[in-house]
Amino acid sequence: MTFDLSVFAGSGTEILGGFLMTLLAWISGTALSLALGLAVSLGLVFGPHALAIALRSYVEAIRGTPFLVQLFILYFGGPYIGLTLDPLPAGIVGLAIYGGSYFAEIFRAGFLAIPAGQVEAAALLGLTRRQIVGRIQFPQMMVVILPALVNMVIILSKETTILSIITVPELTFVVKGIGTRTFAFVETLLALALGYWLLVEVTSACGKALEQRVARHLVR
Amino acid sequence: MSAIKVVIHSFPLLLQAAMTTFVLSLVATAIGLVIAALVCALGLSKRRWLARAGAVYVSFFRGVPLLVQLLLIYYFLPFIGIDVPSLVAAVVGLSLCTAAYLAEILRGGLASIPPGQREAGEMLGLAKSQIWRRLLLPQAVRSMLPAIVSEVTLLLKASSLISVIGVAELTRTGQNIAASTYQPLEIYATVGAIYLALNLLLAAGGGMMERRFGLARR
Amino acid sequence: MKRGLWVGLVAALVGLSIAGAASAGHADDVLAKVKSKGELVVGTEMQFAPFDFLENGAQVGLNADLFREIGKELGVKVTFVDLPWDGVLPGLEAKKFDVVAGPVTITKERMTRYQFTLPIADATVALLKRAGDDSVMKPKDIAGKAVGGGKSSAQLDQLKLFAETLPGKADIREYVDNNQAYADLAAGRIVAVANSLPNISYVAAQRPDTFAVVTPPFGQKVYFGYVGRPDEDSKTLMAAIDDALRKIEADGRMEQIQKKWFGLKMDLPDSVPEPGF
Repeated sequence: MTFDLSVFAGSGTEILGGFLMTLLAWISGTALSLALGLAVSLGLVFGPHALAIALRSYVEAIRGTPFLVQLFILYFGGPYIGLTLDPLPAGIVGLAIYGGSYFAEIFRAGFLAIPAGQVEAAALLGLTRRQIVGRIQFPQMMVVILPALVNMVIILSKETTILSIITVPELTFVVKGIGTRTFAFVETLLALALGYWLLVEVTSACGKALEQRVARHLVR
Repeated sequence: MSAIKVVIHSFPLLLQAAMTTFVLSLVATAIGLVIAALVCALGLSKRRWLARAGAVYVSFFRGVPLLVQLLLIYYFLPFIGIDVPSLVAAVVGLSLCTAAYLAEILRGGLASIPPGQREAGEMLGLAKSQIWRRLLLPQAVRSMLPAIVSEVTLLLKASSLISVIGVAELTRTGQNIAASTYQPLEIYATVGAIYLALNLLLAAGGGMMERRFGLARR
Repeated sequence: MKRGLWVGLVAALVGLSIAGAASAGHADDVLAKVKSKGELVVGTEMQFAPFDFLENGAQVGLNADLFREIGKELGVKVTFVDLPWDGVLPGLEAKKFDVVAGPVTITKERMTRYQFTLPIADATVALLKRAGDDSVMKPKDIAGKAVGGGKSSAQLDQLKLFAETLPGKADIREYVDNNQAYADLAAGRIVAVANSLPNISYVAAQRPDTFAVVTPPFGQKVYFGYVGRPDEDSKTLMAAIDDALRKIEADGRMEQIQKKWFGLKMDLPDSVPEPGF
């Protein structure tokens, strides 16, 4: 076995491009799935019964199946029903649908963690439903659910590797390609491990900082 | 072949592979819980280097993709003279990885147990190991049962990665069939449905255990 | 946590360098080991019809038939290990198996890295299209259109070279797996997939209502071979397999197997040709 880092020489821009693509898919996918998750959780907690049942089926179906299978069906099956997405948009939409189901459950748990008495008190004081959610429930539940949110954001970062099956040139796709071309499997594998580890460490550090900030705001 | 024919034709094979997926995930969870308890105990140790070791374990196994961990176990251990058969490597890889997540869940569960209980145990003259085994861990596992079940469902899906070291689990078997019938959509939809059924089964099992533990608490 | 990261990284690197040191200075003849164990271990991916694939969970294809004959000649049992292609060549280097089936297209670059057996099939690149698509009747018709190929495959490289000679630039998409390229061709995102002629002929024969082959093949003539490690220890094994292949070719068994899986007899050179590519 050899260990030769020169296989990466001359591939700098290619790797950087892959890394940026991973970041782009991950950040936009995460933003969309957070929005979707919040909307679904509102429907689950406050919506009419029929809506809640429909949303519950969405959450269970998506959480119960692997992302790979979902993405495959979305991308290769979509054209048969007239939905032909390009690779990157398909990847981002797929991530949003997948992450949305997990975020919905996290947000729902957060809503349920706020004592009902607070909501009743606010309603008695004449606050509207929107004000209660925005001013009373949401800020408090963020403290409770932030660790779970950060954890899920980390999981999504690693799920982006699956976008390679629909030809999105993200980090794994690019680096593995270098491995196949140069036969330097060990080097490329380690580079990948390091790349994702770094991403995860930075994310969890940001999460910790955010946790402290949110909590401090509440103490004051 | 028509879509339905392909599905019916391949169903027995897929079910067999689903058993592999299911059994390996459960075995890995059982072993993972034991490792997680150790890692969690390390992390709470008063000796700083032990606590540090626990933190490094969690950081590494959560931060590095499972795919890479599996390849390291299967391909690079032989170079130092440890040849691991693929099934063993799969169970070891899944256990080590899920243990990192379970350790964090257990830590959260332990934090929710009032410190008075440990002190009471010490006063009653229980040994440290007894306090852990009899007092703290059972309670942590109970209060964290929903989180543990949800980790098992994640592991069940992540276990599709063990195909990279030659274990024919559900996803890989589906891909193999798709590659010889050239009808991937039908096969992927079936594979998805089987995963969903397995996870619903797990959720039902988890619900039953929760109710049982709830009764025991009374 | 930050220090945790570096400690872990250093540990990983130290582990690897020990690994590297331990693997050096190991000298064992692979053929002798195979014979004493009575078993030849072959790494492959069983998603490469008609060479290697599964039918009702059992391995079938040219590799299974040909290696059965090779095993008879060597007097050993043949055991296959099925892995995703990503893991097959690393597995060979980690000595998880003695030889890789695949097969792999013999190219100049790969010959510097591995030892190849004699050619076992033609690997010249051709195009697969949707059945009934009149806009692609000959290879040149892909000019200005979207075409797919397997990432890092020799066939993709040939496709790229060919596309450069065309007037309108073709949009070439790279798939991690040929089977995804076929799925995308069926879904209509691309008009053709470039792969070796034996592979796509088989696909078209299996799903004639969906796919068709565009003739003639294009690009440089290349061949498929089986792969062994480049070290001295593997030389005798590779030579023994070549001898077996010559015998199988001479007594007509090769022709039989080829007709079974390709529907025709392929003329193959009796030495590893200098690849023009």
